Amino acid sequence: MNTPHRLPSTQMNTRLAATQQPSASSIQSKEVQPQRSQDVQEIQTFYEENLALIYRYIYSKVGNRQEAEDLTSQTFIKALRGVDYTRGSQSIQKWLFQVARTTVADYWRQYYRVSISSLEELLDAGWEGPVEQEAVPMSVMPAEKAQRILQALPERDKEVLTCRFLLNLSVKETAVRMGLTEANVKVLQHRALKHAADIAQV
Amino acid sequence: MTGEDQERFEDYLELERYIEELRAGRVAHPPTHLTPDQARIYRMVALFRSAAPGVAEPRPEFAEALRTRLLNQNDQSLEEADTLKLPPLEGADTLEVPQAETHITSEKRPEVSPASTPPKQPKPRRVTFFSRRALLTGGAITAASIVAGTTAAAVDLAVRPDKLPDYPTRLAIGSNVATTWLSVTTVAELGKNAVPFGNDKLKGYVIYDDDNNEIIAMSAACTHMGCIVQWQEKERQFHCPCHNGVFTEYGKPAPTASSVRYLTPLPRLETKVEDGKISVKVPS
Repeated sequence: MNTPHRLPSTQMNTRLAATQQPSASSIQSKEVQPQRSQDVQEIQTFYEENLALIYRYIYSKVGNRQEAEDLTSQTFIKALRGVDYTRGSQSIQKWLFQVARTTVADYWRQYYRVSISSLEELLDAGWEGPVEQEAVPMSVMPAEKAQRILQALPERDKEVLTCRFLLNLSVKETAVRMGLTEANVKVLQHRALKHAADIAQV
Repeated sequence: MTGEDQERFEDYLELERYIEELRAGRVAHPPTHLTPDQARIYRMVALFRSAAPGVAEPRPEFAEALRTRLLNQNDQSLEEADTLKLPPLEGADTLEVPQAETHITSEKRPEVSPASTPPKQPKPRRVTFFSRRALLTGGAITAASIVAGTTAAAVDLAVRPDKLPDYPTRLAIGSNVATTWLSVTTVAELGKNAVPFGNDKLKGYVIYDDDNNEIIAMSAACTHMGCIVQWQEKERQFHCPCHNGVFTEYGKPAPTASSVRYLTPLPRLETKVEDGKISVKVPS
């Protein structure tokens, strides 16, 4: 009798090429349902164009994979119910980001448990305020936003944030690299993040 | 250290704890009673973390699972508005399809013509059934001839408009994707447990379905978020470590205490048995 071995959990991170997808032809060729095949195509396109953007945006708000996946799923599922494909894709995208924003805000509300009575409190709860003018607001491109902030920071702040986040170094590794104590690093990262927050507000 | 300094020092430690939790890949939340200024600092953590290369990219398994879910959802809502009246089917889990054997060959097609109602049998038998779509398109099922003793089952979602499918669905590999037959094990060695297999494109399990007397293969990607499910020998089920989804030994979603509801079954893969060797068709 075969002893099944457990598939190692690292396989969760194995990159699968996107081949496990439903064949478009096997779904579309239901001749009595032209609406379905058109919908499927539109959903596929809508999804492919926006999944990574929405995921990255949500990740930049929650900071971890599991919640990013959960909230991304919720966003798309909600969005799909109300999407109007006759609108231009730019307009759909803007609306999709609004759904993402409220999904994240609803979720955060649980953790902050503040009574949302003022705009200030809303902002603190993660909501992002009135929709920006640009088609895809810069704030939804987290990598670019982070870079802009970094470039505007003093050298040491920039270095500690680069080490801790972009290079993903531990406190110890960062301390060695920057010639500081570990306690110093903890203080410095706090200060750097505070400066970053100040810049981000502007 | 003054009181103020102490407070600040604790801030640094608390922040550091939060950063470390996220770096370890765990879910973490900022402390709830933060001042607005403090809260902004924590939000910067999530932002900078997401800016690290490769971090904020959706996993392919997750992307696939969500795509499937969205398409299912669309099918369901279309069915609700559907004017196509399908003939009522008898039996909760059985579909009466006239066939004597459990394997699919092209000779069987005329008996299960898509336009006809499944005729009523004197006594329902648990048999495997076809996807009407696949028959219409001459899709994967009829294209391959499968040796007697193994079957891949497929289902037409339109048949059950009021529920999520709880019987097997075929994993459809895109028509322009190269596939190969992956040798998994032999009939002699296949015992009562699920046998894992896979390549860098796909992971799955092979198991003997004693109810239907066939060897089946299914994808190991949980239909919730695409995490790889683990076979539990004692409980004879597949368990998903991400959200505690559970599937029966045949890949069917099993009710559990977890919050994961509306799971769809683990999709089936084409299998064949040649000279006692079991192989599964996978993307190469």
